[in-house]
Amino acid sequence: MALIVTLIFLSSGLFLGWSMGANDASNAFGTAVATRMIRFSTAAFLCSVFVIIGAVTSGTGAAEGLGQLGAINALPGAFTAALAAALTVAWMSKVGLPASTSQAVVGSILGWNLFSGSPTDLGTLRRIVATWVISPVLGAIFAMLLYTLLVQWIRLTKPHLLSLDRNTRSGLILAGIFGSYAIGANGIGNVMGFFVEASPFRDLTLGRFNVTSVEQLFLLGGIAVAVGVYTYSRRVMMTVGDSLLALSPLAAFVVVVSHSLVLFIFSSTALESLLASWGLPTIPLLPVSGSQAVIGSVLGIGLLQGLRGVRQIRWGVLVGIASGWVTTPLIAAVIGFVLLFVVQNVFGQEVFRPLDQGLRPAAIERVNGARLPQLAVVAPRLAAHGVTASAASSDPHRLHTTLRPFAISDRVHQHRRGLPAAEDHQEPGDSDDRAGAPSPVSAAMNTAGANLSAAPGG
Amino acid sequence: MSNETPPLFGKTRFLEGLIDQFLDQISEGIILVEMGIKAYLSNDEDTDICLEKLNQIIEIKRRCSELRRTIVTMLYTEMLLPDARGDVLRLLGSLFELLDEMGDNYQELMIVQPRRMPEFGQDFADLTNMAIRSVQAVVVAARTFFRMPAAVRDHINEVRVFEDETDKLAWRIKRRIFAADLSFEQRTQLREAAAMIDALADKAENIGDSLSIFAIKRSL
Repeated sequence: MALIVTLIFLSSGLFLGWSMGANDASNAFGTAVATRMIRFSTAAFLCSVFVIIGAVTSGTGAAEGLGQLGAINALPGAFTAALAAALTVAWMSKVGLPASTSQAVVGSILGWNLFSGSPTDLGTLRRIVATWVISPVLGAIFAMLLYTLLVQWIRLTKPHLLSLDRNTRSGLILAGIFGSYAIGANGIGNVMGFFVEASPFRDLTLGRFNVTSVEQLFLLGGIAVAVGVYTYSRRVMMTVGDSLLALSPLAAFVVVVSHSLVLFIFSSTALESLLASWGLPTIPLLPVSGSQAVIGSVLGIGLLQGLRGVRQIRWGVLVGIASGWVTTPLIAAVIGFVLLFVVQNVFGQEVFRPLDQGLRPAAIERVNGARLPQLAVVAPRLAAHGVTASAASSDPHRLHTTLRPFAISDRVHQHRRGLPAAEDHQEPGDSDDRAGAPSPVSAAMNTAGANLSAAPGG
Repeated sequence: MSNETPPLFGKTRFLEGLIDQFLDQISEGIILVEMGIKAYLSNDEDTDICLEKLNQIIEIKRRCSELRRTIVTMLYTEMLLPDARGDVLRLLGSLFELLDEMGDNYQELMIVQPRRMPEFGQDFADLTNMAIRSVQAVVVAARTFFRMPAAVRDHINEVRVFEDETDKLAWRIKRRIFAADLSFEQRTQLREAAAMIDALADKAENIGDSLSIFAIKRSL
């Protein structure tokens, strides 16, 4: 019975996945299908397969970003937030307004935060909103660079019209695959991120392969996206190709690659680790809007052609799209707030649990950087269990027992982000190393453990 | 339909080969027409050379027609060049029409056999030369379109220059024909012959105009 209830609650996530498949798949293959370089059936098949692969293998990175914005802690709340986002996307698509799934999701999470009185991590919100500006700009820059390089290469090699057509077609297929993978990796956080904490699945071990419950959840979300691609994306794909600017097949290829690159850099845990290992600033892993990246890329190509390109851009359409970027999160937040009220008061469901006012992982990381005393940092969590800081400092055993569940939770969190376990790599004096830093909870536990060992009979 | 069977792999190269073959045939046809007209001008008779050239032109027209059909079929069945295949088909169709018209005009010349044409031999030879250069320039432009659309403009300019010169030569011949002591029938026949040759350059110019638009659409 509990499983059935959970699956019913998951249905809104699947609806959101369907909406995303119907809309966002056009970002990967829309220009290719609209320019008739690739058949819709081919595009839909490739898109579906690689969205699922991306979701299962790399979905966790961007999903964490939304968790930092607001951790919806009750399944009915997650259901309602996902439903609000899905309804926003579906309604805006229906009335012909451009919609972005990630923006709708952010709006619905903010609606939940407002309704539940949960604090919104303003740092994460700022980063997410910044990506809404950065991703189209990055898309435009990537598109301009790529297009210039490609044109130079074509002028140098002078390929036959048919060879160029063949290469562009192959490129569109590869870029579409890459784009689909990126949509799966980056967008699945939007679809199933709500339900990570309440996954009804258990970890599976198939021979040498271990499939976690989160991966199974993302697989389900990926399938929902694939259904959306097959059932409703055709019309969107056919219109996306020339809604803003009539694109040549070569420009279509550049747009898809640029869009995929933008999505990739905002969802790749491997890239994050690589940048960190080189001592470079890391790029926040956040779900970004593929539609914004595509629009930015198209604009980049238009601007590259100078005044002629600027004249060809349909500025009225662009204004409509930009207005959608502002209204989507607002509408989702309002719908989310109203739906949460209805679900809580009409259906009597608990849409949020008013507990654990402790620190969110993002806040813990900031506190780590500020080098605050360990017990001061974990004091709110101890207080939730009726343990005062002074009592904890005098009773290491009690401190250890109380903090143990939090320490496990933090390790799970670090594991999901693909970071090494803090306890395995921590060296004395490394407390400001973000990748290897123990959470304050772990540090406090270590101290308590040391005190216990030193105590007589410990 | 051509007997050429497209391979399972390498269809692009195969089709590139067919298009090159088509353009080669057009160029060959143009040369044959030029040789045929010059042979007629030098002999004023329905000689074996003229007939041989006529047969060769007819054979080339047949091969070109087959090649064009094969190319059209492949472009559509294989969904190649979705954005440019309309332009490519129109270009190939126009070039075939040009060859067809040249062949028909030459055939007509063989049928009508205007008397006293050799008296204006040098004038007609100059006119033919200029018209043929115009036609050849447009075939070169068509070849360029498939590899360097931006360079098409240079060749199109040549076509326009040659067409202008052809018009001037045709005007001069017509004036000389009507100034000469000829019957009305002879004057009409010679004027028609000059107009037929001049029309080839006009046709080439029209193809060049379309081609310049196709090239602009493909320019990067």
